[in-house]
Formats: sequence, C-alpha cells, structure tokens
Amino acid sequence: MDCYSFDKVISDYIESNLSAKQKQEANEHLAQCPACSEKLADMSQLLGALRTLPRPVTRPDFESRLMARIERQKQQKESPFIHVFHEYSRVISVAAAVLLFVATSLFVYTSVVLPGSPASVPSASIRSVEPAAALPAAAAGVRPEQAGGVAEKTLPDTNRVQNPDYNSRIMMVNE
Amino acid sequence: MMDKEKIKFTDEELVARFQQGDERAYIELVKRYKDRLLNFVYRYLNSFEQSEDVVQDTLMKLYTSAHMYREIAKFSTWIFTIAANLAKSELRRLKRRRVVSIHTMGYDDSEYEIPSEDFDPEKETTSNYGEKQIQEAIDTLPDQFKTVIILREVQQLSYEEISQILGISIGTVKSRINRGRLRLQKLLKDLKVR
Ligand SMILES: [Zn+2]
Repeated sequence: MDCYSFDKVISDYIESNLSAKQKQEANEHLAQCPACSEKLADMSQLLGALRTLPRPVTRPDFESRLMARIERQKQQKESPFIHVFHEYSRVISVAAAVLLFVATSLFVYTSVVLPGSPASVPSASIRSVEPAAALPAAAAGVRPEQAGGVAEKTLPDTNRVQNPDYNSRIMMVNE
Repeated sequence: MMDKEKIKFTDEELVARFQQGDERAYIELVKRYKDRLLNFVYRYLNSFEQSEDVVQDTLMKLYTSAHMYREIAKFSTWIFTIAANLAKSELRRLKRRRVVSIHTMGYDDSEYEIPSEDFDPEKETTSNYGEKQIQEAIDTLPDQFKTVIILREVQQLSYEEISQILGISIGTVKSRINRGRLRLQKLLKDLKVR
C-alpha cells in the first residue's frame, strides 16, 4: 500500500471497516511511513474535535415565536380577502385616489370648462339640454347665466367656487 | 397523561398523530428537533440569527406539509432533507448579500449574531483544533463535502441516513466523507501555517 491508497481508506481504517487483509496492508504501510502515521493521529484528533463542538440551542422564545407565526398564517388562510387587501392596500388606496382624481377632474371639466369653451359645442349642448330637462330647477338657476357671451366672464368665478371643494376631496384621500 | 405517554411515541407515531389533527404531537416534534436542526444549520451557515430562522421555516413547513410525509422514510431524514434544502438556499442568499455588503458598506453580517446563553462560539475546544478555525475551514469546504461532513461528524448521522437526506448512494456518501475529511484536515493545516 502506498500513501495515495492509504488516503483512500483512512476513514474505513478509523472506523474499523476494513477487511483483515486491507487492515494488515494499511498497518504495514503505517509502520514504515511517518507522514501517514501522523496524518492518521491528526485525523482522529480532528474528528474528536468536530464531535465535541459546542452545540447552539434555540432561544427560549423560539416555540412561542413559531406558534405565533403559525397562528398568523392560519388567519391569513381563513380570510383570503383580508390577506389580499393587506398585501395590496397601498395599491388599492393609490388606485382609489387616482380614480377619484380622474372622476373629479372630469366632473369639473365637463361642468365648468366645457360649457364655456367654444371648441366643444356638442358636449356643451348636451350639458345645457339634458340637465335642463332632468333638473329644471337647477338648470333654471345656473345654466342661463353661463350661456352665450356671458360665459367668458362668469367662468373664473365658477372655477373659484368649484376648486376648494375639489381640493378638500383630494386632501381627504391623502389623509 | 400525555406527558407520560409521549415518552413512548416514536417520531413516526407523532407525525401520524399530527396528521390526524393532534397539535400536541406537533409541539412534541418541535421540542425534539429544534436544537438538533439548529446544530446542523448553524454549522452550515455560521450565523446564529439566520440559522434560527431556517429552523423556524423548516418547522413551519412541517406544520403545513406534514400530510406529505409517508412512512417509507424515517421522520428524521425527512425533516433534515427539508432543513438542508432551506439552509442551502439561505446560504446562497447570504453569500450574495455578503458580497454586496462588503463592496458597498464594508461590513459583514456576522456582527449581528446573537448566540444563546449556553453557547459561546469563541470558546476553544479541548483539542489542538479551536472552534473558530474549524468553523472557518468548514465554511471554505465546497458544498458537496460541507453538508456530508456536518451531517456525519457534527450531527453523527449514519451513512444510510445521510444517503437518504441527500438522495445520493451510500458509496457516494462514503467517498465524499473520506475526501471531505482529508480536505478539512488540509485546510486546517494551511490555516495554522498562515
Ligand atoms: Zn504514507
């Protein structure tokens, strides 16, 4: 047996897993090879050190933390909607804010800007006809003022009235 | 009542009970395995905090996937397989992060380790080999040797158990253990010289 072959069987030698013949060959090699003898002694010491390494233990609250995690997961499984809502609450609130912003802008735009704008006659005519039919009282109070040539003068005023309401809605969303 | 009974229960009987809905059986398995698993994962990751997290994840998985266990395998090898897989992906994640943190901030997360009371990683073992050097050498072993060495030398599992945990033949386990031991010995020698 040479040094290379001894390396191959060093574990089996330590664990007494060699056949009688192999063991004898290994012993013969060890008797005339100080390097392998030293390696063997050193290896036994290393394995002993590995076996006796300090063993870490989990912290005392390990089990309570684990059980709390399990409880949390159970609750999430029981109410998937709430779970989804929690996960996406930011997205949902942003989407709601955007939707409200668009809806409010559209409302302000169609009710204030469009009636006075000369370029958008079709919308303006719908606005002035339909509400008048559906809500005669409101139409009688507001629409006649905005109609025709007076519109350009009344527009800034209406904007000022409309804007505070619009701003406070946006603030409420942000809060 | 349960306290006297549970001494008799094997791991496999406990899983069977848990599969039938007995949560006390689960808690008993947690008690039996939490420190054994930690010992293995800690030597593998060399970070107490992260190792405890991996053991928690392993036992969470036991809770949610106990129905997947079949009695063809020993429970211990089944749970160690889960822990070994989770530890492996955690190590990959840690290595990536350590590289990033060394490059960007210049610190290593070993600073955040909180060892438990009875456990002192600085404490030297009785032989020529100090724990710190041994751990350093284990850390530098290639993964295929590292896992078998820890399961065999630290955890004292049999060749057959290791073969089942890693899904490799007993012959491969034996040769990896032998080569792993020689590599570890060489690494420690080099560390001493340095
Ligand atoms: Zn030799």
